[in-house]
Amino acid sequence: MRFKRFAAAAVAVVAAAGMSLTFAAPSQAAINYCKVTDLQSSANGMNGLVAAAKKEGVLNVITLPRDWANYGEAMDLFSKAFGIKINDDNPDGSSAYELQTIATATADKQPDVVDIGVSALNSVTGPGRPSIFANYKVQNFADIPAEWKDAGGAWYGDYNGIIAIAYDSSVSPAPKKISDLTNAAYKGQVALGGDPSAAQEAFMSVFAAAIAKGGSVTNIQPGIDFFKTLKQNGNFTSVLANGANYVSGAYKISLSWNFNAPGAIASAKAAGKTLKYVIPSDVALQGTPYIQAINKKAPHCAAARLWEEFIYSENKGKTSDKITAADKKLPGQALFNTILGGQNIFVSGGATPITVKAMTKKGLLIKAPAGLDVPKSAKLVMPSPDNQAAGKSLVTSQWPNL
Amino acid sequence: MAKPLSNTVDKGAANRGALVSDFTRQLVPILPLLVLIVVFLIWPIVNVAIMAFEDNYGNFTFDNFVVASQGVYAQAFGNSISLGIYSALLASIPGAVFAYIIESRGSEFLKRIINSATSVLANSGGVPLAFMFIAAFGAEGSATVLLKAIGLDIYAGGFTLFSYWGLVLVYCFFQIPIMVLVFSPAVQALRREWTEAARSLGASKWQYWRHVGFPLLFPSFSASFLLLFASAFSAYATARAMTVGTIALVPLMIGTLIDGNVIVDQFNLGKALAIGMVLVTALAMVPYLLIQRRVARWQK
Repeated sequence: MRFKRFAAAAVAVVAAAGMSLTFAAPSQAAINYCKVTDLQSSANGMNGLVAAAKKEGVLNVITLPRDWANYGEAMDLFSKAFGIKINDDNPDGSSAYELQTIATATADKQPDVVDIGVSALNSVTGPGRPSIFANYKVQNFADIPAEWKDAGGAWYGDYNGIIAIAYDSSVSPAPKKISDLTNAAYKGQVALGGDPSAAQEAFMSVFAAAIAKGGSVTNIQPGIDFFKTLKQNGNFTSVLANGANYVSGAYKISLSWNFNAPGAIASAKAAGKTLKYVIPSDVALQGTPYIQAINKKAPHCAAARLWEEFIYSENKGKTSDKITAADKKLPGQALFNTILGGQNIFVSGGATPITVKAMTKKGLLIKAPAGLDVPKSAKLVMPSPDNQAAGKSLVTSQWPNL
Repeated sequence: MAKPLSNTVDKGAANRGALVSDFTRQLVPILPLLVLIVVFLIWPIVNVAIMAFEDNYGNFTFDNFVVASQGVYAQAFGNSISLGIYSALLASIPGAVFAYIIESRGSEFLKRIINSATSVLANSGGVPLAFMFIAAFGAEGSATVLLKAIGLDIYAGGFTLFSYWGLVLVYCFFQIPIMVLVFSPAVQALRREWTEAARSLGASKWQYWRHVGFPLLFPSFSASFLLLFASAFSAYATARAMTVGTIALVPLMIGTLIDGNVIVDQFNLGKALAIGMVLVTALAMVPYLLIQRRVARWQK
């Protein structure tokens, strides 16, 4: 009995000694990337960040549809180049879902990075409220316009789009401006991508209609009235504008973000249909940029920071199908410089990257997909977050009685 | 069979032990179910109820309920309740008749086929159901085109699938099978002997139904009706895919409030609406319980 106890104690002592030895063993000064607020002040730079992110091996993203603003290519390229597995939770989910997940999910299910709407951002930020995001300034931080970033680097806009008219090639005459949609030839053919009080695309479509019909960003009543007219004359159908319903012929014309055009056109083609996009000649309504941020509870701090560097990279470079095995063996900084930057990935998806001005100046902007040029006659407008907040209550009370 | 009360009081300890084992014998088998109910029903409802009384900063407030009972939200409750009632009415009566015909006239083979078919149809809902109707009866749907070819333009008279009555129609597609499914056992329980007994006592067919058939079926009918009401009252995905919010319905508003990209600061209003739905369903149980009580009296 006594011997046994002694043996147990001896084992414990040896084990403890072993453990302390491992801790004492000299190792590289490991960087805690959860505390890194920019790459310039961090030792090891991009090489270190890439190495640490590779070691984590996983990135949790949330509500990123593959066919949205070319996110599919962004995820494929990041994943392939850096060998990091991407978990995309609830790809078709909403901004509200992203915030709810941060508020309630267990530690390992927390998203590393989010892409949310401005309304969602405003609901979690404000004076006196603790930030739920980690401060991190990407290398191209200076290229982001001041009104679309937090001075401390808690969040930053990433891309935005313009409301386009998407229509089937069989529609005649082809619609050119929003006010064309009342044409009796479009009976039962005009649809929206959701309820304007829930879907940003539909909400912005109401703004666009308002401006086309003599309203303004502060007066969207004419927009609601426009859809009322469309419903009364039978043009508006309340079927949800999405790929399946379009292919089934349930509608032929919708107001949609230009940055989903390449994906939607390709899917339509696969189903034997020809879908066309045009920016309305009466109003080019720009959405407010979507917002990137790193979650304070991010389980993969290095991968999260590398993702943001990648999203804000202005590089011209290789797409996911061009990456070779040799590329993947390059040191971090060289590999990062080899691949196409996130801002240009948005461009090839039809979106406007937030750093568009700086990129144009530096000559780094790649060519946008054809056919989505903004007509000269179109009034270019962007409703501010305040305009949107004011518009919400009107839509909430009037849309259900359209 | 309940034991007479005096027994347990008189015999004291020995019987108390028996009582405990009786109790455990009854409780243990349903324990997993109880745990399930607490974890997946009671716990979430309590949580939702608590948050319904909080503002965005966690302070106690009645505001959510004040807002939820006014304007477009009050209207949404009205629409959802009437949608539930109409769709239950339109589905329960034909459903009950089908169930009776199938059970009383159908062959075994037919019954089996109908049984599997209704099980499948009763569970078809949501976006796939909406899509089926859009693909068939939408403006360019296959059935619409076919009917047009034989000279019947269903869209000529101002009909649209994407309206209140369109929804009622689409809901019938799963409501009628649900009715057949849940009402058939009640019809099965009607014994042929009762008809024969009534007849041999000189009752007419009408008198048999008036005094025997209907009273026996009524409790099951009202329970089925309530089930149909609840399923239409709470249906979400089908309505969402077919109306993009142009009709005020409570489930759609909850969806907008708790899972939207535009309104993201009123989660708790959504929770207040959810509690409102629970209350409506609970209130709908009252007439059902009264009927059951009355029935229990003469079923003894």
